[in-house]
Amino acid sequence: MTRISLKRCLFALFAGFLMLCGLACSETPADHEKADDAVTIVFKHGKIQGDAEHFRQLLLRFEKENPGIHVTGQALPSSTDEQHQFYVINLDAGSADFDVLSMDVIWVPEFARAGWLRDLSALLPEAERRDIFPGPLKAVTSNGRIYAIPWYIDAGLLYYRKDLLDGVGAKPPATWGELVRLAGEMTKGSEDIYGFIWQGKQYEGLVCNVLEYLWSHGGDVLEDGKVVLNSPGNIAALTLMRDLIAKHRISPPLVTTLVEESSRHIFGNGRAVFMRNWPYAWNIFQRNGSPVKGRIGVAPLPAAPGQPSASTLGGWQIGVNRNSRHPQAAERFVRFITSRESQKTMALTIGYKPTRRSLYRDPDLIRQQPFITGLHDIFMNARPRPVSPYYMMMTQILQPEFSAVISGIKTPAEALASADRQIRHVLGVER
Amino acid sequence: MRRVETGTWFVMPAILLLAAVTIFPIMDVVYLSLHRKLLIFGISEFTGLQNYRFLLQDERFWRALSNTIYFTGLSVVLEVVLGLALALLMNRAFRGKGLVRALVLVPWAIPTVVSAKMWEWIYNGDFGVLNYLLGTKVNWLGDPFWALHAAIIMDVWKTTPFAAILLLAGLQLIPADLYSAARVDGAGPVRLFRYVTLPLLKPVILIVLIFRSLDAFRVFDAVYVLTGGGPANTTETLSVYAYKVLFQTLQIGYGSALAVTVFVCVGLIATGYILLMGRKAGLR
Repeated sequence: MTRISLKRCLFALFAGFLMLCGLACSETPADHEKADDAVTIVFKHGKIQGDAEHFRQLLLRFEKENPGIHVTGQALPSSTDEQHQFYVINLDAGSADFDVLSMDVIWVPEFARAGWLRDLSALLPEAERRDIFPGPLKAVTSNGRIYAIPWYIDAGLLYYRKDLLDGVGAKPPATWGELVRLAGEMTKGSEDIYGFIWQGKQYEGLVCNVLEYLWSHGGDVLEDGKVVLNSPGNIAALTLMRDLIAKHRISPPLVTTLVEESSRHIFGNGRAVFMRNWPYAWNIFQRNGSPVKGRIGVAPLPAAPGQPSASTLGGWQIGVNRNSRHPQAAERFVRFITSRESQKTMALTIGYKPTRRSLYRDPDLIRQQPFITGLHDIFMNARPRPVSPYYMMMTQILQPEFSAVISGIKTPAEALASADRQIRHVLGVER
Repeated sequence: MRRVETGTWFVMPAILLLAAVTIFPIMDVVYLSLHRKLLIFGISEFTGLQNYRFLLQDERFWRALSNTIYFTGLSVVLEVVLGLALALLMNRAFRGKGLVRALVLVPWAIPTVVSAKMWEWIYNGDFGVLNYLLGTKVNWLGDPFWALHAAIIMDVWKTTPFAAILLLAGLQLIPADLYSAARVDGAGPVRLFRYVTLPLLKPVILIVLIFRSLDAFRVFDAVYVLTGGGPANTTETLSVYAYKVLFQTLQIGYGSALAVTVFVCVGLIATGYILLMGRKAGLR
């Protein structure tokens, strides 16, 4: 008896599903018809800084230059983690809902390895490659092929209070030792100003900060695909970071909660002598009404004596979805949006820093942003975080270990040994 | 027979709905947890209990489990104790009683992510109002000792009202005659509370404990927004760890094993309470 009723019930349910499908499917043909005479490509990107109108104008210019191709820009949530999640879920499911995507520098090897991106090597001829900063070029290259075109670049900088340094006749520090000494002198006996602030919360930004200390002490995470965390250079680097807080006391304990914006607020209110941050903060500091307007400078991050300064590379790259229905149109758009012209427009209007080196000699840009010439050399030294499809797993291991060192619950040697062991495990097992 | 068949028809939609939104996803997660599944490398292979074996020796898992238990234990005890105190206060007749009852609910009404953001400002080590009021310089969210306690304080602030309102409802069910009779027998306020209020309130207290423990054990948004699990994983709870493994490192198999573990723990807690309640309250 009950068996019959179950069957009937399933039948009713099935009928219901069919009806729902009918409703859902009836909408699609209209879209297809539209796509036949004019191609529409969808461009997914993060939040664009500043006035959205500038960016819209750029998309309109592309449409004007390329009749028959429409571009729809679609902004994703501003958190990069959520953007990553969005891409992974949709790309893994083979979605063709978007054609062009913007990627954080650390995702490209991962997405390329998963086979989600079109090979764009043809879009970047050999001659053009030489014009692009080596860091981003390395980050978008997997097995000799290029899977994304660098769009704009970011790198860690040392912001300093020019007025305070000039007051004691000092130049921006070239070594970590000098920074410690200067910051100590300038904050002696003062409660209102911190010596040096940076991003110490347990998150991706902490890894960006720590790598700069490792590299500027001759250390690294990976070398030729091998884990090299357990090194004297790395131990010295992490010891210095902990000492900034506990021994030299030039960084307040609260750096273990700071991210980019919270450190920018402190420095922007004139409450720190030195700050490590990305280039975006410069424009905000120079706005009218800013307490530090005209009183700051930027310099390369310090290094250990005899070692080169190093900055962690950030920035975004543009790629094409492997499943795009309009790959040709999508590639045209990528060429346009990453072109010298577009990068110049974005630098002038939004402040995004170009990935093409020749723009750093552009008279218009130099006139508007004089400090851009100094950035060129810093960007030349910008190094990508370990370029590996395993990076997301590695950073999840590194973040808590580095956090344990700067908050004083593990020694550098302990934390490095533990991270070394875990990353070896991931590289060994998950291959 | 006829009646049973009609009954089946009536519960069928509910069962199908539950199957679609609860039972099927749970089975799917259990199934995934028996695999090594890495989206990036296109790997998906059956590995049996391998993920669970790894889990047993994963220091980070044990750390997250102990964080979660500590968070649940401390926050639930505080919430019930403070909630009971609040409920006893609100149960008295005074002017503006309605207004107070409504106001008390405000923290509970604010979405967790919003209150977590609010508390992030309150705890700010540079200009946070909490340090200002206390005259201290505590690094609330960046200190390995304080961070988890800061999350607990926020959770207590947010959910004490919920406990208070449920307990207040329980208090109002207690007949006034019982108090009168006890007073005639010469009981003071302490004995009234100990021998009348508490025994009669026990079923409600147990219900509050169940709801709060299950919720607290799965805590995600409060911690994720407040600290992201740091410093040094001292605030990383099981749900936060599972989220990171599932959605950031994309180890779908292992992440599912973690999620199943959370599910099993929550199931154990619920069963424990139900057994306790059945015994103590005589399954009324």
